[in-house]
Amino acid sequence: MEAWIKAIFFPGFVFLLVVFLMIFYLERKILADVHLRTGPYYVGKWGLLQTTADVFKLLQKEFIIQRRANKILFSLIPFVAFLMVAMLIAFIPFSEHSYIVSTSFDLLVVLALVTGMPPVFFYAGWASKSKYSFIGGLRVVNQMISGEIPLWLSALAAAVFYGTLNHLQIVQESSFLGFLILLPAFLIFVTSTLIVTDRPPFDIPEAEQEIVYGFLTEFGGFNYAILVLSKLVELFALYSVAVVLFLGGFKGPILPGILWFFIKVAGLYLFTFVVRASTPRIRMDHLLRFCWKVLTPVALLNLAFIILVKMFIS
Amino acid sequence: MGNSISMAGYTFVVEEKKEISGEDLGLLQEKLLQLNWGVQHPASGPMRLKVWVDGDEVVKVDPDIGYVLRLLEKLVEYRTWINAIVNVERACFIDNFGTMTGYSIAAEKIAGVKVPKKADYVRTILCEGGRIVSHLIGLGSFIGVLGVHTPMQWALIAREKFLDAFEVYSGQRIATASIIPGGVRYEPTGKFIEKMVTAVDFLEKEFIPRYGEVFIDNPTLKLRSRGIGVVSREKAIDLGLAGPALRASGVASDMRKDYPYAAYGELDFRVVTKEEGDAYARYLVIWEELIESAKIIRQAIEGLPEGEWRTKFPVKVPPGEAYVNVEWARGCFGFHLVSDGGTGPYRLKMRAPSFANLWAMPEMMKNVKLADVPVIFASLYMCHGDIDR
Repeated sequence: MEAWIKAIFFPGFVFLLVVFLMIFYLERKILADVHLRTGPYYVGKWGLLQTTADVFKLLQKEFIIQRRANKILFSLIPFVAFLMVAMLIAFIPFSEHSYIVSTSFDLLVVLALVTGMPPVFFYAGWASKSKYSFIGGLRVVNQMISGEIPLWLSALAAAVFYGTLNHLQIVQESSFLGFLILLPAFLIFVTSTLIVTDRPPFDIPEAEQEIVYGFLTEFGGFNYAILVLSKLVELFALYSVAVVLFLGGFKGPILPGILWFFIKVAGLYLFTFVVRASTPRIRMDHLLRFCWKVLTPVALLNLAFIILVKMFIS
Repeated sequence: MGNSISMAGYTFVVEEKKEISGEDLGLLQEKLLQLNWGVQHPASGPMRLKVWVDGDEVVKVDPDIGYVLRLLEKLVEYRTWINAIVNVERACFIDNFGTMTGYSIAAEKIAGVKVPKKADYVRTILCEGGRIVSHLIGLGSFIGVLGVHTPMQWALIAREKFLDAFEVYSGQRIATASIIPGGVRYEPTGKFIEKMVTAVDFLEKEFIPRYGEVFIDNPTLKLRSRGIGVVSREKAIDLGLAGPALRASGVASDMRKDYPYAAYGELDFRVVTKEEGDAYARYLVIWEELIESAKIIRQAIEGLPEGEWRTKFPVKVPPGEAYVNVEWARGCFGFHLVSDGGTGPYRLKMRAPSFANLWAMPEMMKNVKLADVPVIFASLYMCHGDIDR
């Protein structure tokens, strides 16, 4: 397959949209199951097309820009955000052959792009010129910066252990022993992924009951859909990275590699949804204390431990 | 148009390019930021809190009410003694039996009517059913403000069973208009009792174990609500708090025990109190009262006597006045009813517990974090219909 076909269809843009719709559907269905409801049911078989219908509803909505808003920034931000997270997907090997690019700096680029997200979301809040959006923007910067340090440290632990930043190579070298040694790093990575992508219980920047919808408050229609899509894709990309780094990527018996990859990602998503259904949101100061006093020191210790292990192995 | 600059081919859009100062927005330059927590807000309901924040700290809170004012007290004056229940029950539709019972007892006091024993028991069953329905929503919405919607969904499933029972009894699920001066309006049939038992069974066997496992000893919930909005015992009495909020501060005030009405004097139940006085204690009080109420319903159904369920209530009531307190789901609800000898009430004053709690709220919200505002608001367990009336 040629690279540009890959970039458009699989695992590129079209694939991203389908994944977004399916994950959204899965989230609603699983949440409904925990709530003892039915969830989406009428549109399509088992309500499979419900999320598609929702997105198309958003697309046909009016394009509203607040009078005070910084118009250029306000209309540009969703696309910048989407571009940044869509680039993440290019570096993820879904199976042995389905990846768009493979360089020797895969992990570095992914982490750098994730680190670039807070300013984008902050500008989204700032450009709206609304109080709730502004507070949401401040909160998102606060939260993502404190979450990214443990994210980097735990991801680098895996890179140090395998001695490479290339995703494909990491997957090929992974083993069960490696999984056990990297287990603490995996837990830290998943926790900080939840913090960085502000998923519940860390959804402080868009706490509905406090600041309406955070930096997303003023967005509507297509802009809103793109922003939400980019947040979901960011989570998907980080979970894919977690699968690649810690869970052995597409490796697995009997079934084809791509299926194994998605089974592993789905497991992580299931965990996310159940946490969302049962854990109340925590407060900003609690989160900061947790990030800087617990998560970061533990991640540092973990990195030291990995370096020690590496010394003895090699 | 007509401007020399625009005629020369230049376009200046003066309005659009003007930089808006921070003072206009209440942003950036101003140190304090006024947030409108309501009226159009996901968690506020039909009321508005003006919240002044300094960064993440709340400086001052000012409630602004009146968005659901229906003049219920005035409307009662245009009704007959019995018709007035439809206005009284709308103080808060979630638990409508408590308010109807209070009004009916006040009217019976003035008229000197003695209610049959069976009516008293049916009133007790209905009141406790209403309390359970209200507490279920209270539990759900308390955790709902923390971003988890599971408890509300579970609570609504349990609530449906009780609404089924009310529907069998009165034909209506929510605004039942079923308790009138002189007794209760309908005969408590076997089917109603059966439905009520089913509902209580569901509550005790399915809802309470399932909910208690996940959302009662929840560590995150404790982290968020412990030590938030603390009110000491003395302060609670000074502020005039009512209902679960008062009992969570260690004051064992319960009209059902202190001044028994309906059949509460003959039933055995416990007044739930907590010492901590914080949001979590208020939540636990609601939770334990739910369990107590289920027990009360079981006792009342067992002890349900035979006989009439309604006596004749006179069309014209002699002049006089009465003040009656009932323990409604959200606290002590007071009715001051005045008769001038006519076919309807001359004046009715309702003392609403939610209103009392609302004006105590700004005290509790001093120097808390912005994220605590919804928690304290929900923990005080207020009903907007009840605040405005």
